Amino acid sequence: MSLTAERSTPAPAPAERPHDGPVAWITTTDHKKLGVMYCVTAFAFFLIGGALAGAMRAELADTGGQLIGPQAYNTLFTVHGIIMIFLFVAPFGVGLANYLVPLQIGAPDMAFPRVNAMGYWFFAGGGLLVLLSSFASDAGGVATGWYLYPPLSGPRYSPGVGPDLLILGLALVAISTVMSGVNVITTTFLMRAPGMTMWRLPVFTWNVVVTAILGLVAFPPAVAAFVLLLFDRRLGGQAFDPLGGGDPIVYQHLFWFLGHPEVYILILPFFGVITETIPVFSRKPLFGYTGFILATLAIGALSTGVWAHHMFTTGVVDNPFFSAMTFTIAVPTGVKFFNWIGTMWGGKLAFRVPMLFSIGFLLNFLIGGVTGVMLASAPLDFQLADSYFLVSHFHYTMMGGSVFGIFAAIYFWWPKAFGYRLSERLGRSVFVLMFVGFNLTFWPQFVVGLRGMPRRIVDYAPGLGWDTPNLVSSLGVVVLSAGVVLFLVDAFTSRRRRTPAGDDPWGGFSLEWATTSPPPENNFSSLPRIRSERPAFDMRHPEFTPGSSVTTAEEPS
Amino acid sequence: MRIALRYLWLYSAFGLVLGSVYFALTQEWVGAVALWFLGMMPLIVAVWWARHGPSSAVHAADDPDGDPSASAGESLGSFPTATAWPLFLVLGVIVTGASLVYGLLLLPAGAALLVWSIVGLARESRG
Repeated sequence: MSLTAERSTPAPAPAERPHDGPVAWITTTDHKKLGVMYCVTAFAFFLIGGALAGAMRAELADTGGQLIGPQAYNTLFTVHGIIMIFLFVAPFGVGLANYLVPLQIGAPDMAFPRVNAMGYWFFAGGGLLVLLSSFASDAGGVATGWYLYPPLSGPRYSPGVGPDLLILGLALVAISTVMSGVNVITTTFLMRAPGMTMWRLPVFTWNVVVTAILGLVAFPPAVAAFVLLLFDRRLGGQAFDPLGGGDPIVYQHLFWFLGHPEVYILILPFFGVITETIPVFSRKPLFGYTGFILATLAIGALSTGVWAHHMFTTGVVDNPFFSAMTFTIAVPTGVKFFNWIGTMWGGKLAFRVPMLFSIGFLLNFLIGGVTGVMLASAPLDFQLADSYFLVSHFHYTMMGGSVFGIFAAIYFWWPKAFGYRLSERLGRSVFVLMFVGFNLTFWPQFVVGLRGMPRRIVDYAPGLGWDTPNLVSSLGVVVLSAGVVLFLVDAFTSRRRRTPAGDDPWGGFSLEWATTSPPPENNFSSLPRIRSERPAFDMRHPEFTPGSSVTTAEEPS
Repeated sequence: MRIALRYLWLYSAFGLVLGSVYFALTQEWVGAVALWFLGMMPLIVAVWWARHGPSSAVHAADDPDGDPSASAGESLGSFPTATAWPLFLVLGVIVTGASLVYGLLLLPAGAALLVWSIVGLARESRG
């Protein structure tokens, strides 16, 4: 029985799109190239942000001033935060969405390819301005912390053009996010292949749709805050200046109305990633598909109502309301853990590199999540706010979660994107180095946080019990960095070796594994029939297709 | 499509209800307005979609028994060729924005670049 049907789509002028060379990449509107460009650019920002983190840890390895002065240190943590949040993790998710959504739903491209290209250039241009604001400013780099809170970010305390360039850069990145969000939502709602109902959508696509909606909701208020701040700085506005009748707390509300959904914008795509990899390497369908999707929708909705738990200590927000909302959002997140564990339970686990990173994600994110619930309690938050405990919690969710998800995605979809594999042997070493290095770096930060070490300090006195954990934490960065360097070696050597991967090296489930590696222009020459959320699996194993007369008790391993 | 529309209604209701509860508890305007807008935005799309969108007709993608051959020969829309206008447009925005920081002398150059690229995009030329 054939499961494929020819889809005679008119080929949209492939000759007019140049395929190779820098001009072809710069002028492309192809979602796959743009997806790769997003991911490569974001990874370059990751290397820059990582280098800044390394410099900070070098300074903190011992008491006394070693390398960096206080003002430069302030710039380092400010720019590190902004790069990692706005220029690395979030855009990497956008890049994956760009590459994968049309492939996973059986569409030839995104709904608005030119807008898609524009979104990439807004991101790249915004990123460039952010870098300029840090290193090419007349009055030193921006040193306000990534929140840009006024009055510290106002003209009185942060003169010079650095904050202005940063605000412009962030505004461009926000526009980029909105553009890609509109594209993802429209493409998913309107360009699915026949049979690809919403309840058959791959979980990655579901997660990036919710992420896109969050982006549309969360970024405009922050852009409004940034523009008002720019007016205060450049045009004599007083929106956030109490001396002129303004209110800096309004800025905090507007910023965190972005800032907390942003956390979910950073993590949801990678929930999607590991929910693609875990079933494939457990040789089982996802346990509780519907529950998982409903949990994602619940997270998307609830994440818009928790913003002011970042403002507990201001004393002007309703702490019980935001505490309750924050506790509530832990419930759907916990549901997802049941989905992941239930999927692995009884499965034929294959510990390939993407699966290792996915399991690393689970372990790290669990710690980040549990400490998040601790911080949701306002009395505890009053004790731990602005301590290294908070830094560690945040990194366990964002780095231990999202970045491990990013590496799972890279190892999982690299063969699809480029047609050749990364090294399994090197990949395992990358995972071990990163997992050990990450936990060496950030676990001691919980310890020093509980011992009272505040964040954002360039030096500390000896004898407070902070010395050894800080040294271990700094050594951890060395191990972690070795993992990242080894990954670059892996990428480079694999590119030279180019071991063919085949179209479906993992026995994948979703539709992108039903086309060639790399996929052709407009993605599919023919589409399989879609009868479940695992169309590629159904195509390879018609005996398991719903409604098929051929069934067996066990799935193939 | 019905699922997507239902999601928009639900999301809208969530924003409006949560905004109202939040305002009743806190009398804090910034968050309340943000939450009400959170409800209004999907409401606008949902109302338009319910009245004019393809929700009433069965979209091939929403047919569980839909077959790829159902869309064989169907035009999937036109896909643009390579273009440099998005890059020029963003350069125009950057230069225009930089005029606010570095001086209004940059404004004419930024505005010219913006207009040029918008015209190029509208003409759908390659640039």
